[in-house]
Amino acid sequence: MKTFPLIIFGIAALAQWAAPLSQIWTHEQVLAQGTLIRLKCQAPDPYDPLRGRYLAVRPVLREATLPAGLKLQKGMQVYALLTPGADGIATISALSLTPPADGAYIRLRAGYVYSDKASIEWPFDRFYVNEKLAPEADKWFAENIRGDKGITAEVRVLNGRAVLADLSLDGKPFREILKERAK
Amino acid sequence: MSNNHHRWLLEQLPQWEREGLVSTDAARTLRERHAVDDSQPGAAQIVMGALGALLIGSGLIAIIGFNWDDFTRPVRLMFAFVPLLLTQLFSFRALQRGEATAAWVRETAALLQALATGACIALVSQIYNLGGEWPDFLFWWLLLSLPLVWVLRSSAVAIFYLIGIAVWSVAQVEHSRPWYDSPLLYPLLLLGLLPYWPGWKNKATLSLSVRWVMTLSAIFGLCSAAVFACDRSTTTGHGYYENCFFWLWTLTAAVLALFPLNPSCLDEPTRRKPQVVLGSLWLLGYGVAATFHGTSREILRGMPHALHLPWCWGLLTVLAAFLVLAFLRRRWAVLAIASISLLPVLMIPLYRPKAQPDGMLLSWLALLHLSAIGITLIVLEFAGKKGAPRLGATLLSVLIIARMADSDLSLLTKGVAFIGVGIAFLGFNILMGRMLKQKTAAPLPA
Repeated sequence: MKTFPLIIFGIAALAQWAAPLSQIWTHEQVLAQGTLIRLKCQAPDPYDPLRGRYLAVRPVLREATLPAGLKLQKGMQVYALLTPGADGIATISALSLTPPADGAYIRLRAGYVYSDKASIEWPFDRFYVNEKLAPEADKWFAENIRGDKGITAEVRVLNGRAVLADLSLDGKPFREILKERAK
Repeated sequence: MSNNHHRWLLEQLPQWEREGLVSTDAARTLRERHAVDDSQPGAAQIVMGALGALLIGSGLIAIIGFNWDDFTRPVRLMFAFVPLLLTQLFSFRALQRGEATAAWVRETAALLQALATGACIALVSQIYNLGGEWPDFLFWWLLLSLPLVWVLRSSAVAIFYLIGIAVWSVAQVEHSRPWYDSPLLYPLLLLGLLPYWPGWKNKATLSLSVRWVMTLSAIFGLCSAAVFACDRSTTTGHGYYENCFFWLWTLTAAVLALFPLNPSCLDEPTRRKPQVVLGSLWLLGYGVAATFHGTSREILRGMPHALHLPWCWGLLTVLAAFLVLAFLRRRWAVLAIASISLLPVLMIPLYRPKAQPDGMLLSWLALLHLSAIGITLIVLEFAGKKGAPRLGATLLSVLIIARMADSDLSLLTKGVAFIGVGIAFLGFNILMGRMLKQKTAAPLPA
């Protein structure tokens, strides 16, 4: 057996493990140690042919005010400091090109920039659901998305990285609500 | 000759020997010359192996896509990694057995592993609700699958990779993307398959299907890069980008037609060189279009803007290198056709920055150039050299029809001219048919 193809194969096999494992490692760290942030959101129910059904999560907060002197262009990375309000829902309190010294912050990509505002692209946009639960989830969204309480995305944040951990309504986890409805 | 032709010949030889059509020595020589290369899988083997692997892989992806809510994260991750491990072991075993592994087993192993890799990263992104667009997912999947083409010599994964990078490039043609996330990466991605290119010093012959997919992939990928490069130019104040990329596509076609080939590939029939067929077809179509004044004017309006683009200079550099190589290899026919792409460059000395370009001169130049090519293709055949008389006659007929359609002559005159060209074309076809018959019927010289 020739050695060279075997070495290439070994490297390829390792890379095929390393790519998903590095993602798992990073996201597990964020889930375990990250600060919990709540964002009010809206979401319909689309489908990904490879990854199954998901709820497209779109936080209501779509733009932020630029601090004086911050020159931002479309596509640039920016750090957003998140501060919870009295209702527990987080808002962006500051934008900067470098990570803030303290507080919970997320690394985002800037969208369109106009006068003193910039639209922002959140690093998460989908919440996967079981195919069986998807139709019920869709109905649940339609019924609650415009309500006073609204649907909340629960995001864990650590060192600028964010992982969408759950969706909730009035503090109750999304899956629990769906299972109760399905009974 | 393909393996199927070799097999057919080897099956006939015993019968021909019995009938005394070929001597034992001649039969032995033919057997040696036309030995079947079993290291390369046949089309049926690839299809069967690929189909089986695709069914298993798609089933796996569908099961994973279900999202098993009742299981914990580690259990769900096991669903992703166990199939990957199993397919890796299967591929390792195929690699370990080397030549003893049947070609279709190698194909199946490689494709299964590629699909399991895709399923694994899909599941991880599902479990952690990762965002991102599908082209990003496809990009990483393709990169992780590429080494399987090299080590397992898998045509199926090569085809998957070629289609994938073309789809990715088309999807990335979007204004204001950074260059490292745009179709400008396509040439680098294609270089990943360099050992598979027909001009590379590779002992194994490339299957016809891989060649066609490779050419089509290159067309989509490189043309996407041209459009992206033009799109970016609009932000810096250059306009007319549609005219710009029309010429850039033509340069791309010339690069493809002139792609360097090793001597054994040069001797192959034209249908085994899709890059020459498709590149030449575009170039001839472009040449005929350029004979119209309006089209020539638009080409000339776009060219100065194209010359501002680094992508254009990259294409011109590669084209110049390929022209020299083709000249050294005496590929006269392809050189003549590819030179059509450079006709607008001849107009540069006449360019006046503020004046509207006039397409008249370029359209006449294109007409003369194409007519010369058409006549040469016919004359070569009659001079006893390898020509393409029917292609030459077709080209001349198309040119006459195009010029007539563009003229202010009455419908009656045009109609009479079309009938005349039609009769001449059919007559020429009959003449060529008779000549071919005479050639094949003539006895071989002693």
